[in-house]
Amino acid sequence: MADLTPDQKLAALFAEQAPPARDPVFCAAVMQRVARRRAWARVGAAAPWAGVAGLTAWALQPVLGPSVATLAESLVLPAAIMGGTAVLVLSSLMAARRLAR
Amino acid sequence: MLDSDTELVAAARAGSDAAFARLVARHQGVVRGFLRRVLGGDRAEAEDVAQEVFLIAWTSLRSLNDAAGVRSWLCGIAWRKARDRMRSRRRAEARDAAWLDAGAPPPGVSPEDRMAMEAAMAALGPDERACVALCLAEGWSHGEAAAALALPLGTVKSHVGRGRAKLLQALGGSDG
Repeated sequence: MADLTPDQKLAALFAEQAPPARDPVFCAAVMQRVARRRAWARVGAAAPWAGVAGLTAWALQPVLGPSVATLAESLVLPAAIMGGTAVLVLSSLMAARRLAR
Repeated sequence: MLDSDTELVAAARAGSDAAFARLVARHQGVVRGFLRRVLGGDRAEAEDVAQEVFLIAWTSLRSLNDAAGVRSWLCGIAWRKARDRMRSRRRAEARDAAWLDAGAPPPGVSPEDRMAMEAAMAALGPDERACVALCLAEGWSHGEAAAALALPLGTVKSHVGRGRAKLLQALGGSDG
């Protein structure tokens, strides 16, 4: 092979460092970081509202406390029935899917 | 289908991840190539900085005045991030890593040529290296490079001329 001129060598060495024109792996890595950044931004935006809700609940606790306790007592049985039914339905569905394979 | 940078930037500003992903796919090559040449160290560092560049672009897309100039804007961000890295990192370590990363040189180029080129690039000043990376390696005009790097046009021209002469000299040629 004929010797390259310094200009050609320079061009070849620059070309060697060039990344591929299409690189889905790099694009996916960037979009993953974008998604993570967006998730943290949402958490950051929701945090003050969660704080406000917590403070409000704490301030209203003396007023709402007794009625919430009464409501909770009356909801124990329906909640237990609904929870049990949900567990039964889900486990039946999973078993049916497993048997269907 | 969205095609121009202006349309993609508008869609990305409106919240389209698909449009932003297309901008990344379209401009990743120039940003990564520029960072590899400017940082001159191991490729992993250039890749990491390149990802940060696109992340910054995503968060500050609204500050982009000329949507058609997104390539130049991205390289401007890349240049600022690269300068921060160059100030903070240990350059000798980076050069060692680059040497370990390197595979066989391109046909017609000896390993000595490559070492000489890397040493010559490392010896250039940061501004000079950036101008060389954009104008000689990426084929940008002096004006485009001046806009991206926020340097006067005359400075870019002299950096490119001097940088090219030094690189050619390192590769065994005259500086003509």
